[in-house]
Parts: sequence; structure tokens; C-alpha cells
Amino acid sequence: MSDDYPSLLRSEQMSLVRLYVPTEVAHDTVAELGELGDVQFKDLNPNVNPFQRSFVGEIRRIDEMSRRVRFFATQIEQEKDVVPIRPLYDSAPVITVGPRAPQTMDELDVTLAAHEQRLTQMNESYQKLSERTKELIEARHVLRETAVFFDKAQDHQTDIRTSFDDSAAPLLQHDDRENQYSAGAGAQFDLEFVAGTIERVRVPTFERVLWRVLRGNLYMNHTDIAEPFVDPVTGVETRKNVFIIFAHGDALLAKIRKVAESMGATLYPIDANADKRSESFREVEGRLEDLQNVLYNTGASRRTELITIGENLRSWQDVVRKEKLIYETLNLFKYDAGQKTLTAEGWVPTRDITMIQLALRHAAEESGTSVAAVLDELRTQKTPPTFNRTNKFTEGFQTIMDSYGVACYQEVNPGLFAVITFPFLFAVMFGDIGHGFIIFTAALYMILAERKLARADLGEISGQFFYGRYIILLMGLFSMYTGLMYNDIFSKSLHIWHSAWDFPSNGTDTKVTGIDNGHRYPFGLDPGWHGADNNLVFVNSYKMKMSVVLGVIHMTFALCLQLPNHLKFKRSIDVWANFIPQMIFLQSIFGYLVICILYKWSIDWSTASTQPPSLLNMLISMFLSPGKVDPSEQLYAGQPFVQVLLLLLAAICVPWLLITKPYIAWKEMHKIQEQGYVSIRGDGDGNGVHRDSSDEALEGEEEGNGQAMVEAADDSENEHHDFGEVVIHQIIHTIEFCLGCISHTASYLRLWALSLAHAQLSEVLWSMTLESWLEPTGVFGWIMLIVMGVFWFVLTVFILCIMEGLSAFLHALRLHWVEANSKHFEGGGLAFTPLTFANPDLKE
Amino acid sequence: MEALLFNVDGGFLEGTVRGYKAGILTQSHYANLTQCESLEDFRTQLSATDYGNFLANEPLPISTATIADKATQILVDQFKYLRNNAVEPLSKFLDYVTYAYMIDNVILLITGTLHERDTHELIERCHPLGIFESMPALCVASNVEELYQSVLVETPLAPYFRDCLSASDLDDLNIEIIRNTVYKAYLEDFYAYCGSLGGPTADVMQRILSFEADRRTINLTINSFNTELSKEERANLFPAIGRLFPEGNNQLAKADEIDQVRLVCENVGEYRQFFADAGVSSANGPGDEDSSVLSRLEDRFFQMEVHLNKMAFLQQFQYGVFFAYMKLKEQEIRNITWIAECIAQNAKDRIQDFIPIF
Repeated sequence: MSDDYPSLLRSEQMSLVRLYVPTEVAHDTVAELGELGDVQFKDLNPNVNPFQRSFVGEIRRIDEMSRRVRFFATQIEQEKDVVPIRPLYDSAPVITVGPRAPQTMDELDVTLAAHEQRLTQMNESYQKLSERTKELIEARHVLRETAVFFDKAQDHQTDIRTSFDDSAAPLLQHDDRENQYSAGAGAQFDLEFVAGTIERVRVPTFERVLWRVLRGNLYMNHTDIAEPFVDPVTGVETRKNVFIIFAHGDALLAKIRKVAESMGATLYPIDANADKRSESFREVEGRLEDLQNVLYNTGASRRTELITIGENLRSWQDVVRKEKLIYETLNLFKYDAGQKTLTAEGWVPTRDITMIQLALRHAAEESGTSVAAVLDELRTQKTPPTFNRTNKFTEGFQTIMDSYGVACYQEVNPGLFAVITFPFLFAVMFGDIGHGFIIFTAALYMILAERKLARADLGEISGQFFYGRYIILLMGLFSMYTGLMYNDIFSKSLHIWHSAWDFPSNGTDTKVTGIDNGHRYPFGLDPGWHGADNNLVFVNSYKMKMSVVLGVIHMTFALCLQLPNHLKFKRSIDVWANFIPQMIFLQSIFGYLVICILYKWSIDWSTASTQPPSLLNMLISMFLSPGKVDPSEQLYAGQPFVQVLLLLLAAICVPWLLITKPYIAWKEMHKIQEQGYVSIRGDGDGNGVHRDSSDEALEGEEEGNGQAMVEAADDSENEHHDFGEVVIHQIIHTIEFCLGCISHTASYLRLWALSLAHAQLSEVLWSMTLESWLEPTGVFGWIMLIVMGVFWFVLTVFILCIMEGLSAFLHALRLHWVEANSKHFEGGGLAFTPLTFANPDLKE
Repeated sequence: MEALLFNVDGGFLEGTVRGYKAGILTQSHYANLTQCESLEDFRTQLSATDYGNFLANEPLPISTATIADKATQILVDQFKYLRNNAVEPLSKFLDYVTYAYMIDNVILLITGTLHERDTHELIERCHPLGIFESMPALCVASNVEELYQSVLVETPLAPYFRDCLSASDLDDLNIEIIRNTVYKAYLEDFYAYCGSLGGPTADVMQRILSFEADRRTINLTINSFNTELSKEERANLFPAIGRLFPEGNNQLAKADEIDQVRLVCENVGEYRQFFADAGVSSANGPGDEDSSVLSRLEDRFFQMEVHLNKMAFLQQFQYGVFFAYMKLKEQEIRNITWIAECIAQNAKDRIQDFIPIF
């Protein structure tokens, strides 16, 4: 347990440090530390409102800048043709540290504002132009549709004229006044009308309202406009209809117009005269063409602007994000106006203190001042955050464990062991050389193309696979190994060495009995079993026992991990009151079972005097009728005595586990009370640390930082251990452990079940698809072979490798989280979350 | 019985609305908000609440109107979510909630048209929950008959307007009368509907609606002093529900001054405090006494309303929470608008005059 070399066994040793940062280098220091990503700052002003903090002005400015950048991003996104955005790693970095930093930020601010102004202006004019274009297009539609209508009406002209003769005169009179809406020019028919466009969804309401307002005195006609109108700013499509309403009388027309306008319709002056109509149609066409030219130009220059923005967008986003983080961090610092320094507290890995000090000095040099920030290490009672230093290989495994729970500070980290146990337990369920090879190559590809893939945006699902590429690699490797053990390759078996079984063919008889020829298959399952009638019986019994053996070994190992924890945290009580009885309990029942399994395997039952006993029955009768073993099923001499002894041992362990710890706690409490103390804060180890820390506080004060230690000691979480709590906790713990031993052992049988299911599924797949086409006859046979071969391979990858793989993965996960972790893992830690500029969702 | 079956249809939405309710600003939020120096501080402070970043994309100087609009928009979105997920009878209940907004919008449009305002401007000012599709056509009508025949007949408000078809011309007084008649009809109908739902919904909602009716009655009485409105007409506008109904309403119909109103209110325990310290201030001379009593009365009404709506959340398996949430949230929007307005106009001395909810 040396502290010199980082190991995954225990989380990194952390130190609480205090930084004194001169105001002028504060920004650069935080920037430097953010790049380093190794310091977790604490909020020193928890009682201060967010807007009363020191750097709220800067944050507000950054917020405004980020609003502008967001505005650009949405504008670029909404553009129909894709605007290229230069990725961050290609863009020139904007340097925001050093003496020129304020200027750079000012310039950036100005640039952003200018771009925003230009863009809004262009948007406005673009919108205005498109609005006009839209109107013209609508006018064109109205003209065209009404023309169709009038042409049709031409045929009935005479009828209409006769029926409306009476009203012709008054209409003519006001025609002068309202020339544009109505037409009574003699040659045509005489009826007033209103024409325009309206949104399609409103047509029915419009019709209904008009009908009621005019009491049915109208004739309305409407047609759909085929193409939708797209709003240039929001990109929303609206569909419109052309309508034309004929009505009679001034007041009615005014009403129609009012209703139409209030319903959001646009009215267009249409002449009833065909010549005038075609004239205005030409005019509209001409104006439309001009407008579209202008619109195109405006659109093009807007696009140019967007492209310019797109070149810098990513780096702007990056700068704005970083600056915001920096100022938010600075707001956590305590600001001392008199001394012109900021005080910060935070957790750092002890190992990295020198590196951080270097960074501090570097930041001071960068910013051109001679005063660097000063770093002080504090001693404290507070529990530091848990920080497991990972690399790209161990990261995946550690994440698996962290998603169950973050280990306590310096607790034994199950992530380390998961590197091997996880792929192994997976492979036990997934044992097949062929499938293992497929996922191995897939993982190998991802690892070899790592650099390329890391940059590309993989999407959520394939990104997850990429993240776990090293896990998949090991899983594939281990699956190939267990595949060799099971002698399974795509449900077939390999025949490498000499089999132990001969199958003499005796002519007509379809049933052949294997004869032991004295060879022993040196590695894995004898291929002679493949295809045998009793294959399943044999393999089942073998795999079932194997899973129990593996399970008990795994649980024992997990239980043993308690020991280093107890020793590390100096809890010798827990060794005697928890670890030892638990170990005895587990071993006396399930350890014994494992030994029996191994012993039973080692006996040649074909020559033995007794029948092979059923171990399951043995275990049950060990509980139900202790001391009695049927001589015909006896495994070894003296079995009844041994079993009674083990049973007694296990029975003793339960009260031992239940009572010892509460009793010791009670005695401890009693002792303290007899001495006249009221406090129950006597854990033994706590006091020592406390004394140390107060010494350290004195030293700190000597160095001249007044309120240093007092508060650090003050708000440390004093966990109040009640006697009743200890009792209840221990009762729960005992029940959980004793019942857990039984159910968890049974739970490991999933290893058997899943590996069986996997083998059977792959066999079914083989026999249903490929097997019957293996000896092709003629062209059709060859084609079917190829088709079926592809079919088989696709199903193998998707069903057997991915789907079955995921299911085996989940079961392996459960075995680690529930069965193993429950034996030792406390998991009450807080993860170390350093200030870092590395952006997890950079590739948005 | 409700406990058995309520959650089949209403459980999810009740849970949702209770979750929304948990986001209503509390005293400490208000304490922080009132300390703000500028509207930007205000925005920062609000972003720490359930409002989140609702103002983040607004360009700087923010106006109080924008804040109110955006806050209302959030409420409207929440309501629409609830409405879209609701099934009978909750959907009907939620529809009833929107009718009040529809009435307000109709009156707003009629009044606006009467004063020859631009229709589009009016429509923008309408409450988004009370918009119905044929609403814009309201501006065509010149009398109630026409109004009813052309537009309202197909809306759910039609039955409420049936009673006031007699009023012929549209002028300011008539519109007021129409508004109150319609609202009276609406309240009575809603009251009856809640009664038909039965169970705790009826208990909770009828309590809230009774108060609403009494509030209207009292307001009507006080506002109709010294106006053309005859006492008979006044009596016709009183909703026939509420705790003052019937004898209180009868007395109010005959009342001529505030003291009489106070006497009526003293008969109901909860209402006694409305005029509690009116007697103290009456010593200061009769001139501004009335207005100060009235403004205090208004505040007390709001407090009472908030109190009743808060009480609605104490009971489970009933629809009152939906109504109460809407009302509380509206009060909250009024509060933050008030605070924002005080900040914008630098009137810090009046910033505390909002009605805290939790």
C-alpha cells in the first residue's frame, strides 16, 4: 500500500488546500487550473446570493455574449443549406489569459455585437422582402384562381345578368367609389366581391362566421394553394387558400372585409374585368421577378455572413464556456477587498500538489506579474472526495462500479478487480470461441481506430460501445478462453486432441455407445460429448456445479476485501465481530459444498462401492436431519460428524454476528458514562486526528492566516452514532448476510443458465439455417448456401453477439453489484469533481 | 370511493400539478427577488427557480411586459399539457377553467371595438387560454343580439349570454352589465357542475367558487354606489351562490354605503376581517378613507383567495388542485410583475406590496 505509485486499489489521497490568489492573477490562475483539471473548489460564500457575488458583472457580460453565440448557432441551424462549422481543433485558439486578455475579451464582445447587429439587420430586411414576395405570390394565386372562376362564370353570364338586372343601377353608382373591389363594367356581370387569401385551417370557421353574419346572403368559393408558404425566420410552414366571396350591398361587403381582416386574411384588389386582370397579373409577375432577384441577393449575403460566423463559432462557444466557468469558480472564492487577494479552498490529490504549484507559477508568469498564488495545505477532519485515477483502459471498468456507488474515501475499490472478474463472469455465460472472436475483433477495430473514432460523433448507442471498447476486448478474449473450455465454436466442437471416447460403428444399430479408450482430453470438454444423447445431462451437471464453485470463490474473495478496509481504518472490532463470523458462516455451508463438489468429481464412481450421492439432497438433509446420512449415499467416512460440526459452527456465527458489535458499543458507551462524560464521540481514531488538526491550525495561524482552521473543523460532519442505530444496523446486516449467502449462491446459477441458453440458441440457429444446405447440389443449392450463410452470419452477430452479449453483460453486472459488492462495499463516498475545461458534450 | 378509482384517470395529472405547485416561489425566493437592483439581477435570481432560463434568450434591456408574457406563457404551456392529457370529467373541468378567460377576452374585444381600437392589437392582448377560433369576428358586431347570433352561438359561452340578450346597445355601462351577468351565469354553472362531480371536488371547488361569488357581489355593490345602476339591476347581477346568498345578497342589494356592506360581511366569520380596521382609519377624514379601504379590501380578497387555493392542496383525489394551481400561479405572475415593475421604476418602498403564497 505504498503511496508512491498511483494504484486503483484505493482512491487517491486528497489534501484540502487553501489558495491565496492576488486579484490580478486570479483569472489566469483559475484558467490554468481549469486546463489542469485537478482541483475541486469549495464554495466559501454559501450564504451569499448569486447576484451579490464579486464577479457577477463579468458573468452577466459573458451571459450576454453566450446569448449572442447561441443566437448565431440557432441561425446557422435553421439555415436550410448546411452552413459549414469549422470544428474546434481546426480553429485558431482565442487566448484569454495573459496581459492582453481584457482587450481580447473586449474585442470579442465587440465582434459578437457587430455580427449580431448585422445578422439581425439582414434578417429583418430578408424577412421584409420575403413578406412582400409572399404577398405578391399570393396576389398571383388570387388572380389566377379568380380568373379560372370568372372564366367558368362567363358561360352562365346571361343567366346571371337577367337575374340581377334590377340591382345593376345602384351598383354602377358606387362602382366609381370603390372601383378596386367591385366591378360593374357593363360587359361583365354585375356582382360585388371580395378576394384574398386565408390560412387553410381557418377556412371552415371563416365560412361559418360569414354565413351567420350575412345570414346566408353570400356566395363563397375557395381553392387550395398547392405549395406551402414558409416563414423565413421561424421556418414554419403555413398553407393557405384563395377565396372569393360574392355578396350584395355596401354594408355587407364592409362587414366581410372586416371579418376577413380580423381573421387574419389578406385581401387583394381584383378587377372583374378580364383585361385589367391579366394586366395586373403581368404587373405582379414582373414585380415578383424583381423582388426575387433582390431576395436572392440578400439571402446570399446573409449566407456569407453566416459562413463567416460558422468559421469562428466553435472557438467562440469554447471561449464563452470557459470564461463562464472561470468566473463562476471565482465567485466561489472569498474576496478580501483590503488585501486585494482572493482566498480559495479546494480538494486536490496530494500527489499533484507540486504540479499545481508549478501551474500557479506558470499562470503568474503568463499574466506578466511576479506575484504568484500561494498554496497552503490544511489538515482537516472532513471526508475528502473519492478520486480514482483511471486511464483509458481502466476507465470503463471503474465507471461500471461508480454507477453502482462511489466508494468511500480510500476504501478498497472494487473497480480494480472488476477488470478481470467482470470479463471472466461474462465469458462464463458467453463461452463460444466464434462469438468471442467476433466481439474481440470488433473491439480491436475500435481500439485501433481510436483516434479517428474519438473525434467523430458516434451517437448515443455506438458511443457507448466505443466507451466500453476495452471491456469488450477483454470480454471477447475471455469468451474465447471459456469457449475453448466448453469446446464450442458456433455450436460446433473443435477436435484438436485425441478424444477419450471411441464410437465403434456396429452396422445397422443407430444407437452407439462410446467406449473409454484410456485417453484423457487435456484441455476443455471432450468433443466426444458433442452430439451424444446424454450430452445435455452431462454438460448441465458440469456447468451447474461449476457456477456454484465460481460463485462461492467470488463471494469469498469479495468478503476478504473487507479485511484491508478494516485494517486501514483501524476497526479491529469489525474484524472480530463481522469478518470472521461471516467467513466461517459462508465457508461452513457453501465452502463445504464446494469441497464436496470437487471431491465428488475426483472419484471414479464406475468402480466405487456406493452410488454417487446427490449433493443437493446432501445439503438439504444436512439442515433437516443433522447427524444422519444414508450409508448408501455417503460421500466419505465420518460425514455425519463433520456435517454436525459445520452446522454448529454456522449456528454459532449468527448470534456472534448479531450480538458482539452492539455489545462492545454498549460497553464502550457505559465506560464513558461512568467516567462522567456525556459525549458519545469516542471512536478512538477520531480523537487522534482531531488533535493533529488543531496542531496544524496553530501552525497555520503562525503563518499569518487568521481564521484558518477554526471553521474547517467546525462544519465537519459529526456523524452521531447512537447505540440504537448500531443495534438496528447490525440486525439488518446479520439478516441480510445470512439470507444473502443462500440466495446469492443460488443467484450464481445464472452463470449456468445463461451459458446453457447461449449454447442452445447458437445450436438452434445453426441447425435451422445453415446445416441443411451445407452439401449443396446444383446451382440452387449453392445460392441457398450463400443466402443462408449470410442469413446465419447476420443473425449470429445481431442475436447471439449483441443481444445475448448484452444480456450476459447485464447479468455479469448484477453479479458484481449485488452478489459481490454487498459483501464488502460501503460506497458512501462523494466523487471528485474537479474544475475542468474538458467538455463532455463538446460534440453537440 | 375517490381513493379507489381517482388515480386511474386523474392520478398522473394530479401528481404533475402537485409537482408544478412545488415550483411556486416561496417567501425566501421573494426575499431574494426584492433585493434585486436591476432587472438583470432579477433575471439571474429567477433562473435559480423553477422558471429556469425562460428569459435567457431575451436581448437586454428586458421589459416587465416581457417577463409577464413569458411567465404567462409557461403557465399556458403547463395548462395545455394538463388539458391535452386529461380525460372526462377532468377535461370538462379544465374547459370550465378556460371559460373565465374566454369571457374576459370577449369583453375585452367588445370594449376595444367600441373604442375603435385595432383588432389585431386587441387580440394580442387577449389571454392565450381564452382564445377561440371565431373570436376575431366579434369586432363586427354592433349589438348583443348580433354578437350572439354571429359568433358566440357556437362557443361554450352561448348559454351564459342568453340571459343578457335584452340589453340592446353596446355602451360602457351595458358592457359592464353584460360582463357581470355572464360571469354570474358562468359561476353558477361551474358551481353546479362541480356539485355534479360530487365528492371532495365539490367540497373544495364550491368553497372557492362561493368566495369568488361573494367577492364579486361585494365589489359590485361598492362599485355601484352613486352610479346609474338601479338597485334592482344590481340585485340581478349578484350570483345566486356564495355564503352571503341569499339574505346577505338581499341586504347588499339595498345598501347605500360601505358601512352597510361591512355589516353584511360581519355575519360571516371569515369575512369579518375584510373591514377589520376600517373603523380606525375613518377618523382620518372621509375623503381618502374610502379609497384606502377599497385598496385594502382588494388586497384582503387576494389574500383570502390565495389562502383558499392553498387549502385546496390539502385534500387529495379532487380536481380543485388544478383550479387552485392556476389561480396561485396567476397570483405569482402578478407578484413577480409587480416586483419587476417596482425595480424598473425604482419604487423600492412599495416593493413589499405583493401577496406571498408560500
